[in-house]
Amino acid sequence: MPEELLRKTFEIQGWDFENAGERSAEVTTILKDLDVDPNIILRVGVVAFEAEMNVVMYAGRATLTLVVTDDEIVVEVADEGPGIADIELAMQPGYSTASDEMREMGFGYGLGLPNIKKNSDVFSLQSEVGRGTRLHSIIRLISYG
Amino acid sequence: MDKRTYGFRIDREKCQGCLSCMRVCPTHAIRVKDVKAQYRPDSCIDCGVCLRACSRDAICATTTPVEDLSRFKFKVAVPSPVLFGQFPTGITPAQVVDGLLAFGFDEVWDYSVEINLVARAIQQYVDQWTGPTPLVSITCPVVVRLVQVSYPAMVDQLIPVQIAREIAGREAKRRFSARLGLHEDQIAVIYITPCQAKTISILQPAEGVVSNLDGALGFPEVYNAVLACRRLKKGDAIKSSRPPIIRNSGLLRLHVSEGMGRLVQQHRYLRVTGLSNIIQVFNDIEKGKLRNVGFLEAYSCWNGCAGGNLTVANMYVTGSTLRSLARTLPETDPVTEAEVERRFPNEDFSLKAPIRPRPVRGTAASLKERVQMRQLAEDALASLPGLDCGLCGAPTCRELARDVSVGDASKNDCVFLSERRLQDLRRVYLRSTA
Repeated sequence: MPEELLRKTFEIQGWDFENAGERSAEVTTILKDLDVDPNIILRVGVVAFEAEMNVVMYAGRATLTLVVTDDEIVVEVADEGPGIADIELAMQPGYSTASDEMREMGFGYGLGLPNIKKNSDVFSLQSEVGRGTRLHSIIRLISYG
Repeated sequence: MDKRTYGFRIDREKCQGCLSCMRVCPTHAIRVKDVKAQYRPDSCIDCGVCLRACSRDAICATTTPVEDLSRFKFKVAVPSPVLFGQFPTGITPAQVVDGLLAFGFDEVWDYSVEINLVARAIQQYVDQWTGPTPLVSITCPVVVRLVQVSYPAMVDQLIPVQIAREIAGREAKRRFSARLGLHEDQIAVIYITPCQAKTISILQPAEGVVSNLDGALGFPEVYNAVLACRRLKKGDAIKSSRPPIIRNSGLLRLHVSEGMGRLVQQHRYLRVTGLSNIIQVFNDIEKGKLRNVGFLEAYSCWNGCAGGNLTVANMYVTGSTLRSLARTLPETDPVTEAEVERRFPNEDFSLKAPIRPRPVRGTAASLKERVQMRQLAEDALASLPGLDCGLCGAPTCRELARDVSVGDASKNDCVFLSERRLQDLRRVYLRSTA
């Protein structure tokens, strides 16, 4: 069992575009403080940012939890949003239910979830329509030495 | 990572421990211990903000001593285009060239061809890039070092195409050694620079290789020579006989307002100047707010290189002079175009080595120990007043907390936590200002 070294939970507020990205920036700052390999930080940053944006765009409220263990970094996002009916479809690059306004802001191109998966070593997504979605991503600290 | 040997030096005689430099340093690379400022070279990004902040002239930057140039058989000056905007109206680029020759250079190199070559290489790189955006130009050495130190996850967004002045150095050496039958080591190619950061970047390139240039001289070092030369020539009433050094306006426009944007038109482009603005933009990039921007050009000095700290003229006047000069020149010319076409397929423009993040704190400790140290720092921070007064000798309470966590400082350096510290400061500072 890997030893848990640090756990921090952040609240994300839906539809708050002004502060979108702040939580993932905090996550990045913590990892920078810990002198984690920049490539790992980059991947965790992408995962946290995309997940945060998904919450801001679609879900009302969520928590983002960062866990650092001695051999991996875990990002977990649990929201109380509308849920995803067809996860397989949602995972397809380019598929999006974003509104035109969101697209004008540069989001909603249907690349968020695929991007999260691409940057994770372990990825899982569970969702229940009407209840919410839970995203779990693990990035291993293999190259760290 | 090689030890950083160039950068700034603090004259301990002149330094009065006034905290000014420490307060303005954007990467918190300065501490004041025992009434003297000290550098942490690993965190220093060569921006020179401290130079301007010091009222005692106690900080000096590494320079190339003019005497060092005498060991070369042939000396080529590569002036920054900003140099041509430094002089009073009536002094033409040709006269500036005359001045540089009178100063002791054997040739003066116009690098518009290299600018075009590099722009083309950058364009190709930006076109084929599929990674995270924006890509960031490496023209300003301070920006490169800021990324290495403060935004390590962005190093791959730095465009690994060599800077035009470096390509100019390589080509000048190649051409003159062939023409004169000299070894390349016997030829000095010296950049005439608007800032100390470029000097340092020539002496110690960010990617850890050896520069194609041999050093740099600041504008103040050649300024008087140009003016003096012009005064001598005036009596002769002879116009400079040399062909115009600048054949087209591209090089000048680059430094006025358009930057490289004109050259990479298919991509959304931003030009940012001023270090504090750059930091703001980089923070936004980290937060994913600038994803639609393909290409970013950032200059540490306000208004770009015209605002460099080794310039002589007012930066707005320089801008105006360069703009009017640019208006008198064609956008491009056949000689330059032909040279670009000839050279582009035959030369390699990629950086000689990748730019890596610069480890600022030692990574010797394990992740577990680093988490513990971070927790120590958080705990220390909670007990500090949060006023960032700097009297402890660290620029912010957070920095003091960090120093405490790694054993570089004590919480009792804070005047709120230690009566003794306050008394010590009173004794030293009240006496030294009396």
